[in-house]
Amino acid sequence: MTEEEKQNVLTRIGQSAKEFLYGMAGHDMTRFALKTRGSMEHLFILITMGDLLGIPILPPYYSLRLLPYVVPQISTWKRRMLRERDLTDALA
Amino acid sequence: MNSIIVLILGALGLGVGYFWYARRIDQDIVKPDPQKATPARMYMDGVDFTPTSRNVLFGYQFKSIAALGPITGPIIAVQWGWLPALAWVILGTFFIGWVQDYGAMIMGVRREGDTMGALSYKLISPRARNILMIFLYFYLLLIMGAFGNAVGKVLMTNPKVPFGMLTVVLMGILAGQMIYRWKQDVIITTIITVVLTFVGIWISTLPFMSNIFSGLYGLPESPPWFLGNTQAQVLGTLLVIIFCYLGSVLPIWSFAQPVNYVSFWIVSLGVLGGIIGLLIWRPGMGDFPAFTQFTTASGPLWPMLFITIACGAVSGWHSLVSTSGTARQLEKETDALPVGGGAMFMEMVFAVIAFLTATVAFGSFQGYQDAGGAAKALAVFSGGLANFLNYVGIPREFGVAYGSVFLTIMALTIMQLCVRFMRVASAELVGEALPVMKNVHVGTTVALILTLIFVWVIPWLTIWSAFGASNQLMAGLALLLISLWLRAEGRKNEWALYPSIFMIVTTIAALLYLAYNNFFKALPAADTAQKSIAALLVGVIAMVLVVAAVILIADGWKALQKPQEKKAAETA
Repeated sequence: MTEEEKQNVLTRIGQSAKEFLYGMAGHDMTRFALKTRGSMEHLFILITMGDLLGIPILPPYYSLRLLPYVVPQISTWKRRMLRERDLTDALA
Repeated sequence: MNSIIVLILGALGLGVGYFWYARRIDQDIVKPDPQKATPARMYMDGVDFTPTSRNVLFGYQFKSIAALGPITGPIIAVQWGWLPALAWVILGTFFIGWVQDYGAMIMGVRREGDTMGALSYKLISPRARNILMIFLYFYLLLIMGAFGNAVGKVLMTNPKVPFGMLTVVLMGILAGQMIYRWKQDVIITTIITVVLTFVGIWISTLPFMSNIFSGLYGLPESPPWFLGNTQAQVLGTLLVIIFCYLGSVLPIWSFAQPVNYVSFWIVSLGVLGGIIGLLIWRPGMGDFPAFTQFTTASGPLWPMLFITIACGAVSGWHSLVSTSGTARQLEKETDALPVGGGAMFMEMVFAVIAFLTATVAFGSFQGYQDAGGAAKALAVFSGGLANFLNYVGIPREFGVAYGSVFLTIMALTIMQLCVRFMRVASAELVGEALPVMKNVHVGTTVALILTLIFVWVIPWLTIWSAFGASNQLMAGLALLLISLWLRAEGRKNEWALYPSIFMIVTTIAALLYLAYNNFFKALPAADTAQKSIAALLVGVIAMVLVVAAVILIADGWKALQKPQEKKAAETA
């Protein structure tokens, strides 16, 4: 094994250990932060883009002005909104 | 036997189990395809469905499944002798434990990220989902009762512990404020809060602090309205209940998550220190018997041993975590084995270390019994851990307080999650009929009052057995679901079906034993109202769980026959 390969192996081991530690210590926190952000985004998009679901909350003029900022979120928002949920989802 | 030989046996179980048996099943039967899109990639929403590195998920899965179970079970089970306990930990994980964790995870991945409720609805029957919900509510209530009993009535009664536990909570709240409100660096926040927590644990061992709690705890005699508990036990359990209430009603970012985060470091450093101390010391078992007797205070070896050691060998909780959390984040199908199977084998090693705190840390069987024995399993662990930590230079008195705080926060981490779920479940199950149950505070209070009754009224070994039986039954049902799914996919399912049959038969036998014992022995012999209520409660819950399980199994059996009937019709 060359010096470079040894270095690569060590880097990989270090990276794996770092990820493992993050998984145990912080991943849960990150997920909950993302969930909170996701819930707030739901509300925001529902208010601004309610037209997409046939709920005209905001006049379309303002919705159209906000549209370019919301476009990147729409596909994931629809997935979250339309997914069938079960009580056992709440366990994680 | 020397502790190093036990560790080698554990390592052998892990090596052969993971690298030979589990890999063979994975590659020859399940055949995961790294190119196939997982739910995390198909339905990526940046929240629940997010492709995540397998190393991160391995840590996440391990942390989610490791609580008090792998610690307490082996310590209680050595009352049958060290051999049956060690054999069940290693062989249980080898043949059943990893099968359930990995099977539930890969089933969740192949079934588009469905969780246990949806899976039982689709694979068994529509009513199976509702029965599973009722089953889960009682199961979580038993977790609350067992963990609450262990913490509130044993650990917190040591006046050198409560201040340490309060410090963890305060430091958790501080960590939440520092990270989310004051936008401080995570590393600096971690260092400050963890160091201050250790200082708090040290202060809790000082005479002036323990004297304050000794004064609060009062005399060992208790008034009748304490239901046979001491003042220390009543105050200890009330502290636990307050913690769970806050964990359930406060925003997660401000309480539950940062407390869990600080707790993680306290627990990890304790485990690491304990392992190093054990390796330096390398004690033997002395006269600890390989086998004591078939029937002990917990009941006969079969079925009771197999439900006493739950999480260290196999646990239904893992299937819930595997499907609800991890399966939705797997980047590739091939990650299911290292994450699901790997975390379970690692938990087996954790259980082996807990086993060693009971068998080698006190030098003899008498030492184990003097430390508290099965009746005070957590006191045995904190004492044993303190003996190991002593070999890395940590004073024994601090080690005992540290071990107790360590166990307390491990239990509370799971308890606050359970209360949250029970609150959501009660709103879902009875919210339409009783709209008041949809209120966060009402749902939480109902769950906690039920918990308090369980903790105050039911004796420790009885509630641990009831919890273990429900937990293992959940595992049996999860394995049944896995067998059904494998059958539906046209794959060999014996590797999951036989463990499922073993777990279901064993746990139903255990529940019937518990019901019989409580209805026909404990109830007639009860001389106080508290003992009568305890016997009735455990007996009724055991029977409810048996009935729920029998309905699920009957529906599951019908579902198992369906592919055969379909095949026979096609052939005809």
